[in-house]
Amino acid sequence: MASPASPTRKRPYRFLAHTADVGLRIRGESLEELFANAARALTATMVDRRRLRRRLSREITVEAPDQEALLVAWLNHLLYLYDVDGFLGRDFTLTQLTPERLTARAVGDIYDPTRHIAKTAVKAATYHHLDITRVPGGWQATVILDL
Amino acid sequence: MTQIKLRQIDEYRWEIPREGKMRTRGLIFASKEMLPKIHEDRSLEQVANVATLPGIEGPSMAMPDIHWGYGFPIGGVAAFNLEEGVVSPGGVGYDINCGVRLLRTNLEREAIADRVEELVNALFHNIPTGVGSRRKDIKLTVPTLKEVMRYGAAWAVKQGFGRAEDLAHIEAGGQIPGADPEVVSQFAMDRGKDQLGTLGSGNHFVEVGYVAEIYDEKLARALELFPGQVTVIIHTGSRGLGHQVCDDFIKVMLKASAKYGIELPDRQLCSAPIRSPEGQQYLAAMAAAANFAFANRQMITHWVRESFEQVLQMGPRDLGLELIYDVAHNIAKIEKHLIDGKEKTVCVHRKGATRAFPPGHPEVPPAYRETGQPVLIPGDMGRYSFVLVGTQKALEETFGSTCHGAGRELSRAAAIKAAKGRRVVQEMAAKGIIVRGAGRDTIDEEISEAYKDVENVVNVTHGAGISKKVAKLKPLGVIKG
Repeated sequence: MASPASPTRKRPYRFLAHTADVGLRIRGESLEELFANAARALTATMVDRRRLRRRLSREITVEAPDQEALLVAWLNHLLYLYDVDGFLGRDFTLTQLTPERLTARAVGDIYDPTRHIAKTAVKAATYHHLDITRVPGGWQATVILDL
Repeated sequence: MTQIKLRQIDEYRWEIPREGKMRTRGLIFASKEMLPKIHEDRSLEQVANVATLPGIEGPSMAMPDIHWGYGFPIGGVAAFNLEEGVVSPGGVGYDINCGVRLLRTNLEREAIADRVEELVNALFHNIPTGVGSRRKDIKLTVPTLKEVMRYGAAWAVKQGFGRAEDLAHIEAGGQIPGADPEVVSQFAMDRGKDQLGTLGSGNHFVEVGYVAEIYDEKLARALELFPGQVTVIIHTGSRGLGHQVCDDFIKVMLKASAKYGIELPDRQLCSAPIRSPEGQQYLAAMAAAANFAFANRQMITHWVRESFEQVLQMGPRDLGLELIYDVAHNIAKIEKHLIDGKEKTVCVHRKGATRAFPPGHPEVPPAYRETGQPVLIPGDMGRYSFVLVGTQKALEETFGSTCHGAGRELSRAAAIKAAKGRRVVQEMAAKGIIVRGAGRDTIDEEISEAYKDVENVVNVTHGAGISKKVAKLKPLGVIKG
């Protein structure tokens, strides 16, 4: 079956092999969707995302000097929330997004080792090979995570 | 992409000749057999990139466990003078003061032969491991956390975690001078507040093992190692606090690089002059995070001792669980070195590289004045680790540095794929190694095939004379993150 070109039909994210670490290739119809999918991919790196309940929410504001740095800052802020009290987002809604600032709402759960399957801990999202580009029908981003 | 050309110097040394914007040459320690693999990633290009940074003294170096890292390669060593030189968070890495400590015991391997599983379970119970591991019993207030960052392992000892004698057996006494918690962000402190005394995930571990082979009896005796002796290795770092300090300062350094006109071949090399406010703040924050890591390993040591006492029903004196040494392998240090016959103060970046000071060096504790500083090189969980000592050659040639570990051969994804359908824990048990991990993926990621053989790495550093083999340790039981 031929796969349609629309990014909406494509996987929202996939993992790229990278020695020692992992890369994320993220897609989105809009930049808002791209950022939300990046966050979902981050959660999916750390735990089985589907087991997270939609129990709690967090309002998030992040600033950075440019759009790409903002993507890294956004993911690192989510890692921060996780380290602070174990919060892991399952769904993400970007309520505002400019090249230098975003506000978002994350809905998810507190990590509970008795219910959630832990995968890999992520130290940080990095600037290496960091890229956001326009592709037919939307946007694509690459982020390498330091594990 | 053009492949970086290497010029062979001798059996263990390869040079990247200075060209283009490089201010110095590159120097790689490796055997001929290692080169094809090293050429596969872009780590040699990274060695050349580091050589372009201002104020670099001596060559831009890489140890035989070199592989691709963010900005600086893993296994990279580079020193910068204080006048024009720079400091770079990428030259230290996200896990500031990730390091290893080795404990000895009075026990022979046979004495714990049927107790290893119990020991591993006790360790797993007493030391939080895995993704987002946190302690429920210890939550630090901001003022206490600042004390931890100022005083490092000494803070932990003061709280009753371990003994005062431990401190002399830690690099820099377990307390890097110049730490300033006031330049550590609230974000970093939030992340660290209940992570002190936790192992974390990834390649971090606590391993119970034994001395399988001794290469130099005199040195082994001086380090109080004997054949068949039970040992413990602890490998962890500064947890989320350190990661946040690195991330915070990469942002600072991206701006600083532009401000000070530092030309960067790769954004992750962002840096600031050592003398600049940004450079000084990073060093102070890095030292604070490094001290947090020293305290972390010190507290875990305490729980290792408790676990052994609980399971074996023995007192501390009989167990003899003493610290041999604790070394950092992700750090930047201000050190004095002889360069072209003159003593100079430099900032030595060791990223996935270990300090290896020789006998008689003032920074080596009295117990090791004759032997040289102990160096601990962990291998993968299924094979072996090594104890080495530092040498005069290292001091002269590599700013007193050597390798840090095996280095990955397979990506994590490839390792998980290779482990698919296998029962890694059972496989290890069949080899006589009990493994417990918080997550299945973390164990699969760490299968032996995922790593290069650490013996090859160590043989290069031994052959090149930048450290000396003392003993080989084999694992009996491991807890993984």
